[in-house]
Amino acid sequence: MELRPILSAMRRNKVGAILIGVQMAITLAILCNALFIIEQRLALSHRPTGMDESNNFVVTNQWVGNPTDLKAKLQGDLAALRSLPGVIDATALNSYPLSNGGSTEGLLLTPDQKEPTALSALYEMDEHGLQAAGLTLVAGRNFTAEEVRDKFGYLDVTPPAAVIITRTLAEKLFPGRSALGQSVYFGGHTQPAAVVGIVERLQVPWTQAGGWGSQFNDNSTIEPMRYVSPYTHYLVRVQPGRIAAVMRAAEQALIALDRARVLEKTWTLTEARADAYQDDRGLAVILGVVCAALAAVTAFGIVGLTSYWVAQRRRQIGIRRALGATRPAIIRYFQTENLLIAAAGAALGIALTLLLNLWMVSAFEMPRLPPGYVLIGAIVVLLLGQLAVLWPALKAASVPPALATRAA
Amino acid sequence: MFTYYLTLALRSLRRNVVLTVLMIAAIGVGIGASMTTLTVFRAMAGDPIPRKSRQLFAVQIDNWGPKKGVVIGDEDNLQQQISYPDAVGLMTAHAARRQSAMYRTGFALTPANPDLRPFQVTARAAFADFFAMFEVPFRYGAAWSQADDTGHADVVVIGRELNDKVFGGANSVGRTLDLDGHGYRVVGVLDHWEPIPNFYDLNNNKYAGAEEVFIPFTRAIDQQLASWGNNNCGGDSLPAAGWDGRLHSECIWLQFWAELPGAAEADRYRTFLNNYAAEQRRLGRFQWPPHTRIRDVREWLVDQHAVTAEVRILVLVSFSFLLVCLLNAMGLMLAKIMGRAGDIGVRRALGASRRAIVAQCLTEAAMVGLAGGLLGLGLTVLGLLGLRALLSEDVNRLTHFSPSDVAIAVALSVAATTLAGLYPTWRATQVQPAWQLKAQ
Amino acid sequence: MLRMTHLSKAYRTEVVETYALRDFAIHVREGEFVAVTGPSGSGKTTFLSIAGLLEEFSGGEYQLDGVDVRGLNDNRRSRLRNEKIGFIFQAFNLIADLNVEDNIDVPLRYRGFDGAERRRRIRESLSRVGLSARGRHYPAELSGGQQQRVAIARALAGAPRLLLADEPTGNLDTQMARGVMDLLEELHRDGATIVMVTHDPELAVRAQREVHIVDGQVVDLAPPPRLVAGLAANP
Repeated sequence: MELRPILSAMRRNKVGAILIGVQMAITLAILCNALFIIEQRLALSHRPTGMDESNNFVVTNQWVGNPTDLKAKLQGDLAALRSLPGVIDATALNSYPLSNGGSTEGLLLTPDQKEPTALSALYEMDEHGLQAAGLTLVAGRNFTAEEVRDKFGYLDVTPPAAVIITRTLAEKLFPGRSALGQSVYFGGHTQPAAVVGIVERLQVPWTQAGGWGSQFNDNSTIEPMRYVSPYTHYLVRVQPGRIAAVMRAAEQALIALDRARVLEKTWTLTEARADAYQDDRGLAVILGVVCAALAAVTAFGIVGLTSYWVAQRRRQIGIRRALGATRPAIIRYFQTENLLIAAAGAALGIALTLLLNLWMVSAFEMPRLPPGYVLIGAIVVLLLGQLAVLWPALKAASVPPALATRAA
Repeated sequence: MFTYYLTLALRSLRRNVVLTVLMIAAIGVGIGASMTTLTVFRAMAGDPIPRKSRQLFAVQIDNWGPKKGVVIGDEDNLQQQISYPDAVGLMTAHAARRQSAMYRTGFALTPANPDLRPFQVTARAAFADFFAMFEVPFRYGAAWSQADDTGHADVVVIGRELNDKVFGGANSVGRTLDLDGHGYRVVGVLDHWEPIPNFYDLNNNKYAGAEEVFIPFTRAIDQQLASWGNNNCGGDSLPAAGWDGRLHSECIWLQFWAELPGAAEADRYRTFLNNYAAEQRRLGRFQWPPHTRIRDVREWLVDQHAVTAEVRILVLVSFSFLLVCLLNAMGLMLAKIMGRAGDIGVRRALGASRRAIVAQCLTEAAMVGLAGGLLGLGLTVLGLLGLRALLSEDVNRLTHFSPSDVAIAVALSVAATTLAGLYPTWRATQVQPAWQLKAQ
Repeated sequence: MLRMTHLSKAYRTEVVETYALRDFAIHVREGEFVAVTGPSGSGKTTFLSIAGLLEEFSGGEYQLDGVDVRGLNDNRRSRLRNEKIGFIFQAFNLIADLNVEDNIDVPLRYRGFDGAERRRRIRESLSRVGLSARGRHYPAELSGGQQQRVAIARALAGAPRLLLADEPTGNLDTQMARGVMDLLEELHRDGATIVMVTHDPELAVRAQREVHIVDGQVVDLAPPPRLVAGLAANP
């Protein structure tokens, strides 16, 4: 196929060609970046918590006022929950993964260190915690009942003597060596906390993309503490398949023990996950819809303009046909024309894509776009053009050669 | 003449239905997408208190010094909240026309009817000035007095929705509310008040609206009402255990707002703050030069990223999409107009001036824009319904479509499409009438 | 009515400048029927374009109905064209989307007549060309001769001072051509000033006077003697 006649025809329809090219460029830029965001957000929403999620539920309990016998009430609640049929174990805690509220501590290797070595979420649990959450202990041991002390709400800032940390945190604090038996310090305290166990994984409570916690998603520290507070979460783990029935029974049992409380929320970890990542999934769906609409608009724009060009050149095409051009040759003509425009558009589009990504990197702390995306995006846009041009090209190929003999 | 152009435009649009439908659809989809996100964006970026947003200032004081470990703060590490000692200091100084330290807390409310279970209510501890400062509307009663502040009175102001729920919407002023087992006398009931975003405390649930109960700050401290917001204990000194420990610590957990009408008052307050910080240094509490700031509501919202990254991404994407749709419509209009070059030439020969051709083409473009705008409106409503289904409850509050949005959508569509029609129109005016004599 | 003196028109391309008209002079009096003839490429069409204010000229002078049109802006030229000139094209140039009445309506709209006036003029001009029954038809539904009569009706509707016809029968068969020429002669008898460009000597003799253009210049302005009788017959 000779390019010269195509190029000279394009020069005559310069603006139309530029319009299509620019559309394809912007489409490419949006498509690449949007698909990248979609992929990221979906990946984000599938991050594991490290818990036995499908069998975990949480009851958030708020006492009326600040009862004096808080500790006894807490122990009564836990005993009742643990004795429910179908329950594997239960614990009280200050916060849980996917809840989007919790506390953070900067961990130090020496007490006089100025900058923390690692940030970590703090979870307070008793010796039932690992079992109740379904965490996998990969090294060391669980807390003993003797290690567990009471923690009176968020105002109680006494650090623990022992901690269990996640594997990611262990590697961050003690790279290349075993964290077991090592000491860590809480900011401002001189009393060391010994690492007695390491769990495979335990996500921080925060889930927002680029938000607090996103830089230390798997850095968690478990303190051997009974969370005695007017506002607590009970985490319950049940035998597979019994979660719905146990949840109902748990609420009834707690109300039966004491009515002067608010069960603010009772939900499964699966529900908490859906809630925590709702906006991420929503964003992914919206961007997906916008991408599809964008591709459709661009494609129909190409169909419209190319159809017009075909109509404009009917006579020329007839003459070409009369002079011996085959149908495939006519189709190829329009395909090549579109390919040239799309290639120019893609080149501009790649530049736009990278610019847009650079802006997002700086404005939203997003990662860099991998080059593969740009490449795939460019190919998609080229294919989109070819697909869109097919129908007008077929129409052009159906122009009869006899048209050349008739008047315009 | 305009009606003539209108009929011409209609006729032209009818002539090539496919092209017309493509144009209207492209513009409609573009407008729908951009209006959907713009609605949310406007709600997020909106000024929650337009009449006073330049007079209300968030107060920031550096009580940790240059080395502070983990801070969630500004670029220059100035903390977003203040400590209890500073709140007391600023309230005592009373240097602004109105001011209030405040924090978010909450209660378990026990209904008078013993058959009903206790339920949770959110609350805000604040000073009396809070209501006048933020122009909070009252349905019944009024704010508590400054005497109630100093007297640590057991009074509350409740929101309209809570009043509906507990008192069936009746005037409940003088009635008692059982909050965490303690009786508080209702002195005021708010009318519907939903500042979006919740500018005075952006730490949690920016779009969740105001709290349900308001209680004098002094009484909340007495009652040791826990903070339900962000607590940050950085700096060099650690808090002692317990409530008193927290009060005397350098932990930051309180918001502080001041009303300063006029630049002069604002400047005076800046000086006052620096003097205050210098005084704290003299007293040995701060070991660094004064570092303070006040930001008005608008500056504060920008600084605190009231508009989430998600929405900014969506606005960017949807407006790029609109641009593509307009380029698309522009190409199609160009094709349409150039396809009619012959007719335009005849009209020119019959005495149509360039101006007449411009009017004819732009009328047609504006009609496409109008049709696209109306389609876009429908799609916006669908889009907002979609957002409501897909996004969390907080964001749902931002998906209300107001009459002004209808006007914006149609105006945007007509203006953008007419703009896109400029180039094709210019091409139409370049059609030489003389061409009609030649090349038959 | 139409007077051109020392008129020239140059077409400039990137490389050369060619003159389509050079030191061109013509004078058409009110009520005249002039045929402009000449070989292909002689400048006939250029003359007509300039005469009809469709194109500007490079030098010289042109007075149309006493108005010096040199250097007028587009608005003034469009206005003059609309008021003073009626065009009859070889290819009729009816607007395919508009029916007969709406086609005739086009120049009247730009003239700014009110609805009643426009309707009256459409009715009159249609009856003038004998097509009163075809007002609602679309151009495609008419024969070539009928289409050209509609075009003439459109040219007449504004009561122009000057009718400019460009090979008005070029796209018609002999039968239809005769009908159109009869109509033009009739209009002339009723006092219209007509300038007709044609390459057909048969048609040219039906005019009062023939102007011959060769290479962009008028070569003979003398009226053919045999038409003197015709003039006498039509006082």
